[in-house]
Amino acid sequence: MNKTCIKYLFLLLLFSNLSIAQDNKSYDLGMGFRTQKTNKLYWENGISTDISSQSILNKKLHLKLSYLSSRFGSALNSNAIKQDNYIVGLDWRFRAEKNFQIFTGLNSGYFHSDMEDPIFDVLPHNSLLFSAEAGAFYKFHFPMAISCSAAYNIINGNGIDTPGTLFPFYCQVSAFYFIRK
Amino acid sequence: MKVFYIYLSLLIFLFACNSTPEIDDATMLDGKIISDSSLIHPEKYLISAKYPSPDASQLNKPVLIAAHGYSATTFEWDEIRTFSNTDASFLVSQVLLGGHGRDYADFKAATWKDWQSSIIIEYEKLEKLGYKKIYLAGSSTGAPLIINLVKEGYFNQHIAPKGIFLIDPIIVPANKTLTLVGLLGPILGYSTTELASGEKGKWYVYRPQETLQQLMNLIDMTRKDLEDGITLPQSSFMKVYKSSVDDVADPISALMIYKGIKTATGAKIEVEMEKSKLHVFTRLAGRDNYALADSILQQKVFLEMRNKMIQ
Repeated sequence: MNKTCIKYLFLLLLFSNLSIAQDNKSYDLGMGFRTQKTNKLYWENGISTDISSQSILNKKLHLKLSYLSSRFGSALNSNAIKQDNYIVGLDWRFRAEKNFQIFTGLNSGYFHSDMEDPIFDVLPHNSLLFSAEAGAFYKFHFPMAISCSAAYNIINGNGIDTPGTLFPFYCQVSAFYFIRK
Repeated sequence: MKVFYIYLSLLIFLFACNSTPEIDDATMLDGKIISDSSLIHPEKYLISAKYPSPDASQLNKPVLIAAHGYSATTFEWDEIRTFSNTDASFLVSQVLLGGHGRDYADFKAATWKDWQSSIIIEYEKLEKLGYKKIYLAGSSTGAPLIINLVKEGYFNQHIAPKGIFLIDPIIVPANKTLTLVGLLGPILGYSTTELASGEKGKWYVYRPQETLQQLMNLIDMTRKDLEDGITLPQSSFMKVYKSSVDDVADPISALMIYKGIKTATGAKIEVEMEKSKLHVFTRLAGRDNYALADSILQQKVFLEMRNKMIQ
């Protein structure tokens, strides 16, 4: 599957979630910004959605879709490598009925590193993403929430068969605005 | 019972933190008997010691200051010295990085600034003796040490090197566990390396976590410097040779250097990705196995370096 196909599939998933959420009043849908700092590497910023349903395990299971890139972080006006993360994740929320929640989850997706020059065509550019994540989520009284988490990329890059800038450990902070709540 | 578990946990923690490996003095560089030969016979390795009063013909030759990698010794560059002897068209000064080539305690105590100091000392000695055609070569960790000199503007106060060669430079480690050394290092104390029989006594077997943290600090700082951009001194060139499969220095390091360093005129530097699976492919001595293609590549690169220096 090429990179363009994956991008379209990801956008399709993102917007199908939006339409489901708008059709069904039992869904919560948050959209917002996410910033990610990889340990000993880049800042990557992007967008994220969070969706949960009363009918699916009483909103304890959350589906997340995110797009993060160093293009909007470390690579902005610098020589850092431009790389993109397309992430689909599932979180399990503890204390789901409370404002302060703890969560743990698994993420997967697609990683692409833009190496720009044909000299580096011999190097791996793409990889499957697979990470485990844990963090905290706080819902404000107004329709916003913030989440902080730490994650470990189980697939990380050795530069031989996976891109060398796929590092193992990262932290994220996200801010969501709930379109439907 | 609860107290027993607390004591047991403490015992396990202390055992895990044991930072003194068992060193065999007779066979290991880490011990107190074996040290790098350049400490005993500097005149065989350093041009400043070999020719303390150089004549005009010596001063007119290009001198290559060759810096080895983390935990290695001058041995890493022995083969280019042998190569240089074939036509004596250039001189090779093999520097032993500070803290290296001595015992485990000396290695453990050294910072990356100490490692770099040997390059500076030899550079300034050669400059003072009157050498004008100075070139630098850095393999693996030798590369970020040299890049740091450029970034810090060291050559603004000194004669600029004519050229810089980097062999398998490390900016990103292939083993990403190194990025967690700040967290895991104090628990583990040190890491152990398997050496080929021909490498014993030439590389450290034990790598203290303090030195791994120094290495991580150096390469992380160099990565950030490259992101900000580095300009070579006027009329200096840089050529990077990188194995495309390298289980020590991630090949993406070459891309970071390519993007991060420009010549004084704003031109791109030269990078060549090599069909090799060896880390520091220019060093074949001491390895258990290597292919004919590796020998050919080594000689090709040595010849190209020579040609660039004598042209």
